[in-house]
Amino acid sequence: MKENHIIDVLENRSFASLSESERARIQAHATNCSSCARAYEATKVASSLLRERALEAVEPSPFFHTRVMAALRERQNEVPAFKRLWQAAGALVSSMTATVALLAVLSFVVPGTQTSATAQASESNGYSAEEVILNQNDLQDEQASDAQVLTTLYPAEEAAAK
Amino acid sequence: MAQLARAGDEAAFAEIVRRYSPRVFRFASKFFRQRSVVEEAAQEVFMKAFTQLGTYEGRGSMEGWLTRITTNTCLNMLRSAKRRPELASADLSDDESTWLENQLSDAAAERHRSSERSLVAADLADRVLENMSPDDRVVLTLIDGEDASVKEVAEVTGWSESKVKVQAFRARRRMRAAVEKLLGQKLPPAVAGS
Repeated sequence: MKENHIIDVLENRSFASLSESERARIQAHATNCSSCARAYEATKVASSLLRERALEAVEPSPFFHTRVMAALRERQNEVPAFKRLWQAAGALVSSMTATVALLAVLSFVVPGTQTSATAQASESNGYSAEEVILNQNDLQDEQASDAQVLTTLYPAEEAAAK
Repeated sequence: MAQLARAGDEAAFAEIVRRYSPRVFRFASKFFRQRSVVEEAAQEVFMKAFTQLGTYEGRGSMEGWLTRITTNTCLNMLRSAKRRPELASADLSDDESTWLENQLSDAAAERHRSSERSLVAADLADRVLENMSPDDRVVLTLIDGEDASVKEVAEVTGWSESKVKVQAFRARRRMRAAVEKLLGQKLPPAVAGS
């Protein structure tokens, strides 16, 4: 049995799966080969370590399933961070859109309403803003003839006073 | 039960957790020793199981399906953990050195077998395994530690059988080299050409 062959045997299969006759052959070779003896001993120790480690096991606590169910509910209720950001951005965009729309309404629709209201008022008064401006002179004439109006309205009293 | 849980029945899923948590804990214990870490892994397994219930077709056993999720979860946790620096014989405690010496003599190894010695060995095994890659750990723990077959390891990891064999071959070589280094002077000196 060559040295490499023994190492191959040790590496191909787990130490525990080697039969008694295989171990005896390896040991027989190892007595005359120090490298194989080291490999054999190290493999044996490694196997013992792994098997001792395999004996250890942690058991679940009685509250484990309660904790899992609580964590599950928490995760289900949890809104993902991206979704939260998207919702916040959505609210911001909505409020900005509403503001722009309101400003647009105030800028274009409300002045139009005022114009029509003014026009209605002018119609009821019987004159328009343009007429008022254009007839400034007429207005001055009217103001100048106030004394005449008084005389016309109360001629008898005027005459008696005189 | 799986169908009910898939339909959103919380009580059915709670029953799955209650029934299979011992198995998931035992399997996660092969990768981690600390109770808190094992519990963290097991909780993550059931969280994943809940979200992936739709992929469980019910053809295989629920236990096998959960074992696959456990293996993947533990492997991911091992991959994200930092690897410890290589363990040297100088880092060993007195108890660990004594345990190793006793292992070199079959008679002494039998004589010193006790729960306390087993604890020392399990602790030392963990320290050696912490220096190895997660893939090495899986095959060594399951095949050499638990006597699992290549086929069983292929099933729980999702690897091909040939990958498991190659991984196990290389992992044994690395484990042997690490232990040889720890044993150091305790082993017979290598003679060139022997």
